[in-house]
Parts: sequence; structure tokens; C-alpha cells
Amino acid sequence: MAATSKSERAYIQSALHASPPLRADGRSLQDFRNVLLETGVSPLANGSARLNIGKNPEEGGGGTEVLAATKLEVEDIETGDGVEGGRLICTVTCSPAAYPQLSMNALDDLQYDYTTVLHQILSHPSLHPKNLGIIPRRKSWLLNLDLVILSDAGNTYDAMFLAARAALWDTKVPITRAVQYQARTVGETLRAVEESMDVEGVSPSGFDTRQIPVAADFELPDYWDEGEPLEGRDLWPVCITLNVHEAVHFLDATLSEEASVPSQFLVAFSFPPSSPSRVQAIRTIGSGELQPSHIQTLVQEAEKYARQLHTALNAKLRDEDIRRHQKAKVKFANR
Amino acid sequence: MSSRVEILNDGGYRSDGRKQYELRDIVIDLSQRGTADGSASITHGLTEVLVEVFGPREAKVRAQTMHDRALINVEVNIVPFSTGERRKRSRGDKRILELGSTIKSTFEPVVQTSLYPRSEIDIFVHVLQQDGGLLQASINASTLALISAGIPLHDFVCAVTGGVHSTAPMLDLTTLEENDIPHVTVAVMPKTKKVTLVTMETRLHVDRFGDIFKLACEAGQVIHKEMKRAVSERTQKLVTAMEMGPRVVPSADVGDRDAMIDDLNDY
Repeated sequence: MAATSKSERAYIQSALHASPPLRADGRSLQDFRNVLLETGVSPLANGSARLNIGKNPEEGGGGTEVLAATKLEVEDIETGDGVEGGRLICTVTCSPAAYPQLSMNALDDLQYDYTTVLHQILSHPSLHPKNLGIIPRRKSWLLNLDLVILSDAGNTYDAMFLAARAALWDTKVPITRAVQYQARTVGETLRAVEESMDVEGVSPSGFDTRQIPVAADFELPDYWDEGEPLEGRDLWPVCITLNVHEAVHFLDATLSEEASVPSQFLVAFSFPPSSPSRVQAIRTIGSGELQPSHIQTLVQEAEKYARQLHTALNAKLRDEDIRRHQKAKVKFANR
Repeated sequence: MSSRVEILNDGGYRSDGRKQYELRDIVIDLSQRGTADGSASITHGLTEVLVEVFGPREAKVRAQTMHDRALINVEVNIVPFSTGERRKRSRGDKRILELGSTIKSTFEPVVQTSLYPRSEIDIFVHVLQQDGGLLQASINASTLALISAGIPLHDFVCAVTGGVHSTAPMLDLTTLEENDIPHVTVAVMPKTKKVTLVTMETRLHVDRFGDIFKLACEAGQVIHKEMKRAVSERTQKLVTAMEMGPRVVPSADVGDRDAMIDDLNDY
């Protein structure tokens, strides 16, 4: 979204076609900037993460910073908007501090675009987690995934999907237990008399299938327990944006690089643990044209990059899990 | 969970273990963020607010500028996951607009706007976590962000909330306390002891108001000390970094070299 002049664009483009290809900060075409990730930043949320791509080291500012958090709400299926098995809604908010030159209307438009892309890709039925139902046909969870873009230095789509994946990985769904309410029968005081008279009363046996108990509500067996991890957290997609200029493509563009490239190619991959990788979504952004054969090669290249990103992200998420669940005594000993 | 939580128990302790006049933990972070000219994040206990300041710069809407002063524009963004219950507030929400205009009118007399005619100073407030004292934290963070941006101010603005529980005054309230007792937010300029904001939305007895107002002004002084310390530490770090920064010493004769290094030390 940076304002670039024609000569600046031509300069960046010709540098990309040089051999070896040159970029302003000295990276190679496939190099990502430093990615900083922290999970559990918002204790009130069910899962949260803060991600920064390209922050200047040594306490500098800058970089693309995205804050993501998930919150679970109970929804009624019969009377409310609930859906059997739960549902997921993604929302993206752009902070005006990230786009200081945009008016409020332009900011709203940008927000809406990002929200649409994220929601359509992440709420797809193939990624739907299976533990979002509470009581069949009565109550389910609504998972709200909120992302806030705090600053933008290019490559926002990759940052948003990484932050969303980290927040979803970190999400804990509270364990619920269905309860059934049973009214006290009127004849309770006469029970002693009835038993001796061998009158047929309400059978208390659980094997009695004439009256199948129907759960009406649920409770949390342990109030303080955060819950179980969201099911299917290995499936959440990793997105790679390929910036394409003629035959050259590169990753992790800065703002001026994004403005100099006519077309961007977004591919979201999901890597199920024991199946081949899946393409979750493909989007073309920008005014450039892409040949179908070129698109094929781009998708294959993107798969390789996405796999590397996926492995790195998983390793970092596991590290974060260990860091946050380190026992207090170990922390104290290592202080 | 079913027993009612006491606001102030017989031992003089509040629901979160503080004494009556005790303020919550303050954590101030003045490190640079994004492309903002100045940014500051302040945490009062569990309330966390991040403010980024841009300006003075050319206004986005030329028609709103003033010929003799800078325009102060405040935008508040409360993230949906800041409270226990998720609430998505649109940008045009009345509460948010009110919060923004309150912050703006607090800083109008403090920022030396007459130095920057026809320009705009943007203050972007991000509320990341809420546990009471939202206006207080926003004002404190905005002061620090304006200082971090190098915008001239007449003085700091330090804000604090105060409330009265039957006859006992209390300072720096959490959400639990704000929902229960009448409370007032006071913003003071510590050096001149002038008050730039007093706001109250609940009903408080006139006799109690005098006490809590005086207390809140004193508490403002305490917060000023903390803020001043944070700003001094930050400035000290920056000065040290400037002094130790990379120097280019061009190859010169040994005689000349000493003079070069002496010049650099003076700088």
C-alpha cells in the first residue's frame, strides 16, 4: 500500500530479474524476514497469539504485527443461531495505526476484504473441528476468531494465517457434561407404603429404554480447567503469498515490493498428519495475468514453501506449549 | 462462587488483596511500534492499553484543520477479546466515540497545539484488556505516547479512578468494584496541580465527593512519579545508544586522528 513512483517500481523489478536476483534488504527470493511468535498473550481469551514479521532487531519497531484471539460462546440451536456441531466466525480489524494514510472508509473496505478471505478459507467444512458441539440438537459452541492488524509492513496474508493458526492451536475448549433435570415425583412421601405393596413405580434403571434421558443443559465439571485442545488443530492451513512478476516469484514482500508487483498468488495448504497435503484455497490478487501452466508450477513451488513454513511453525508452537506449561518450580530454578 | 464478593472486608482488604488506597501494579512500555511517531503501553493490574501517536502531520481531511492550531484526533479501538464476554463494538459505537472525545478534550489544553497550525495529531488508542479504569489507563498511555512522539506538552496528565464504598474511599478500581460503587475519574497535571478532567457517571453523595476528589489528586502525583521514571529510563537508554552508536573514522594521520575522536566525544 506504499506509494511508489514509476522509477522505483522499475528499479525493484529490474533488480528481481538480475542474476543473482537482488532485493532491497539483501534477502534471497525465498527468504522470510524474522518471524516472532508468542502464544497466550490474552489470558481472557480461549486461545491467543501475537505474531510479528520483520520487526527491527534490538528494540526497533516496524514489521507486520497481528494479534489473534479465539473466544468461545454458547449458542442455542433451536431458538438461536446455533448450528449442529458448532460454527466458526473469523473477523479481521485493521487498526488505523497500521494504515495511517487511509481514511476510515478505506480502512473499513480493507477490513472487509481481509475478513472475507479469512472467513471463507477457515470456516470451510473440511477444516471444521469436531468438538464444538455441546448437546446434540440443543447447544453448541460458536468459535469467534478475531484478528487485529496492529502494523503493516507487507505480507499481511501470511501473517494473518500464521497468527490465526497459532491462536487456534492454542485454543482450549472447556469440557462439558450434559445434565438432565428430573422433577421430584409427588408420591415420594408414600414410597415406603408403595414398596411394601409392590406397586409399579417409575423404574430408576438406566437400562430402561422406554424412557431415554434427554440432556437439557450442561455443566462444567471443573470450573478451573481450561479444557481440551480444539480438535483437528493439525489441519489448520498455512498460507503462502507468491509475488509474481513475469517469470520470477518471491516470498515475503515488503510494502514497496508489493506495490511493484502486478500480481500476487495466494495458496493455502493444509497438511494432515497421515495424508497427502491439500490445497485449501487459491486466490489471485492484483491486476496481472497468469498463464495456466505458470499457475501449475506456482502451486507446486508454493507447496514446498508452505511445508517448510508449516514445519517451522509447528516446532515453534510446541516450544511455546512447553514454555507456558513449564512448572513454576522449574521456572524459579531457571530464573 | 455463589457467595457475594466483599468490596472491602473487615481487615481492610479489597477483593483483589489490595488495601484501600493501594494502586494496582503499573507496567509501562515505551518501545517503538510500527511506524508510529510515538507509542506507549501501560498496564494497570489487568487493564492493558496501547496508544500510538502520529503527528504533527498533514491532515487527512483538510477541511477540519484550524488555521492557528493543530487538530487532535482520537480513535479508540477496543478489541473484542478484551473482556471476559466477547463484545464486538463497531467504530461508531456511542460509548467509544464518547471515550474518544473525552480523551480529546482532556488533551486539548495540554498539548501545545498553537505550535503546529493546519496540521493534525492522531492518537490511536488500542484497548487490549479491560479490568476497570479504562479511561484512566487510556489517558495515562496517551500522555506517555505523546511524550514519546516528542510533541510539546505543558505538563504530564495523570489520571486515576476513585470510588466510595459506603463511607470508605478507594483508589484505582477494578471492574468488580466499578460495577458496585459510585466512582469518579480524575486527571491532573501534577506540576501545576490543575485538574483537566473530572468525570462521574454514578451517583455520589456531595459530602463524600470532596474527600475522594482530594485523594484522587494525590494519587495522580504518585502515578506521575512512575511515569516520569519510565520516561527518564527510556531517554537514558536512547542517549546511551546515541553515544555508543557506530562511528565512521576515516583513515587519517595519527596526529589528526586524536582531534577527530575528541570531536566525536563532544558530539
